[in-house]
Amino acid sequence: MSRRAWPMPAVALALVAAVLGVQVANGGGTFEPLRPADPCAPRVVTSQADGIDGLTERLVLLGIDGAACELGTSREALTLELAQPGERTDAQVEALRTGLLSAVRRMADDDTLPPASDLVDEALDNADLNGFLEAAIRALPDSVVDAALATDDVLTRAIEDLDLRAVLADLDDQQALERQMEAAITRAVRDSLEARLRDLV
Amino acid sequence: MRRAVAPLLAVTVALVLADSAVVTLALPDILAELDATVGQVAWVLITFNLVLGLGAVPAALVLGRTAPRHLTALGVAVFAGTSAWCALADSIEVLILARCLQAVGGALALVGCLELMVDEYGERRGVATWVTAGVVGTATGPVAGGLLTQAISWQAIFVVQVPFAALAVPAALSVRAGPAPAPDRHRPAVRPNLTLALLSAALTAALFLLVLLLVEGWRRSPATAALTVSVVPLAALAARPFARLFRPSPAVEVAVGSLLVAGGLAGLAIPPSASLAWTVAPQALVGLGLGLTVDRLTAQAMEMRLPRVRHAGWTIAARHVGVVVGLAILTPVFTADLRDAEVPAQEAITALVLDAPLEPQDKIALAEELGAELSGQRGQVPDLHRAFDRLVPTLDPDDRAAAARLERDLDVQLESAATHAFRDSFLIGAGLALLALLTVALPGRRDRSAS
Repeated sequence: MSRRAWPMPAVALALVAAVLGVQVANGGGTFEPLRPADPCAPRVVTSQADGIDGLTERLVLLGIDGAACELGTSREALTLELAQPGERTDAQVEALRTGLLSAVRRMADDDTLPPASDLVDEALDNADLNGFLEAAIRALPDSVVDAALATDDVLTRAIEDLDLRAVLADLDDQQALERQMEAAITRAVRDSLEARLRDLV
Repeated sequence: MRRAVAPLLAVTVALVLADSAVVTLALPDILAELDATVGQVAWVLITFNLVLGLGAVPAALVLGRTAPRHLTALGVAVFAGTSAWCALADSIEVLILARCLQAVGGALALVGCLELMVDEYGERRGVATWVTAGVVGTATGPVAGGLLTQAISWQAIFVVQVPFAALAVPAALSVRAGPAPAPDRHRPAVRPNLTLALLSAALTAALFLLVLLLVEGWRRSPATAALTVSVVPLAALAARPFARLFRPSPAVEVAVGSLLVAGGLAGLAIPPSASLAWTVAPQALVGLGLGLTVDRLTAQAMEMRLPRVRHAGWTIAARHVGVVVGLAILTPVFTADLRDAEVPAQEAITALVLDAPLEPQDKIALAEELGAELSGQRGQVPDLHRAFDRLVPTLDPDDRAAAARLERDLDVQLESAATHAFRDSFLIGAGLALLALLTVALPGRRDRSAS
């Protein structure tokens, strides 16, 4: 190529390099959707809700992480899979139970589980109890409630007792879901109190 | 009237070549209005280019044996009539058939107009005007189509062509007969036509994919997309002054143009965000490359070759077969990549919703709304705005701000997923432009024998 032929290709190359350089320097090539985080790595979860709703949300978020880690998938992929109608596999159900139980342990270790006394009033508001009994429980001092019921123990018992396959099948039916949760929590509270009494005796 | 003859013929040339890509921005509207599938609607674009590409050389053969003005007038009349038929089409099948016939008329009109413009202006000016009109039509087609679709409707694209083409019929008939057609003396110029075909395939990536990315991926209106892609024809106008600065040989000019197209397409493959501003510089490179190559290659393929009309036919065939090859290569790639982008986009959306600073029951309600939108828009980039429209009125004022932030974040995820899905197609387009560069850079038979 003659000497006269070089300036134009050189300018063109410089233009192309400048455009691509500016694009790459500003993040060109990395403009991609968020990649799912490693579900096995510890994640900080928060909730905008207080009380039982907030606790449930944090528990479920950590539980799905644990289940995804157990199944070797991402939290997001598992959530999307569970949101689809259809039969759940044994592996999914067991992984979810394991994930929820490890979430309770982690929250207990982190001291992020609220004491039972913080949840009693809200639980009583939602429970269909005899008025006299309800008033009696409300009258109990917080220290007595916390001494009688450990939140992690109640949650662990509820998760172990819960028919997770039925819960997953009823994800679209809020009332059915609440019925199952309430029954499991009630049984867990009763069992926890009985165990506590047995220990005292 | 006489003064208007050559401009009317030039406008006809520009219209026919603009039709190659004019419907690109109208495809989503056509798809919805004629209840077509994505595959069917792509044929509105493909059939025109395929028939024009395959029909150009036979049209030139026929024209070379007869007085061109009658056949040209017939071609322009068919083009005008079928343009009106396209506007009236009430089904996708009718539109595709009308587009086929429009391309048949267009092929006759294109090569015929060349002969008539040479008769009007003389050889040099006539060919130059014909080439320039073609480049202007090719570059401005998507812009004009987008603006008309947004302002009026997709049918308007075809309606506006009718009066211009109808006026060109008497204009063609009024041209005085020129000298008898030249005998068949030269073989087609393989190299410039091959380069032209490869560059046309690459430019298809630039124009077709970019407008699809803007409208379908980044959810911009057809008018915004049309204004955005107007950078390409504007930059093409700067190509001549740019070349005059260096006075390169034609081969260097074409090589530089191919490099610029490749660089621009690579730039379009890696925008840092979905801001329209990031498309400007890459488009300017593509436009500059377009302006340096297409008219130069067309002139090279026809220069000193007789009969002129036959070689014009070969250049049209090369360009439009190139467009069809580009569409044939790129369409399956980007449709498959768009499908593959669904899962990462859904996972990114899920992550953001799970971690959103909203009350749990609001998250559940939003997840249900988003799920309905996502499953209802399979195969397309979903519009999540409706899901938020239904949810936001039910939220507390504090949560509305959080929901608005979440909506913006989700849109960014969708835009990034769509951008990523188009990346390989743009890079393939860049590869086609580099192949065009290779056809210029590799030594020819004459070069080898000289060395």
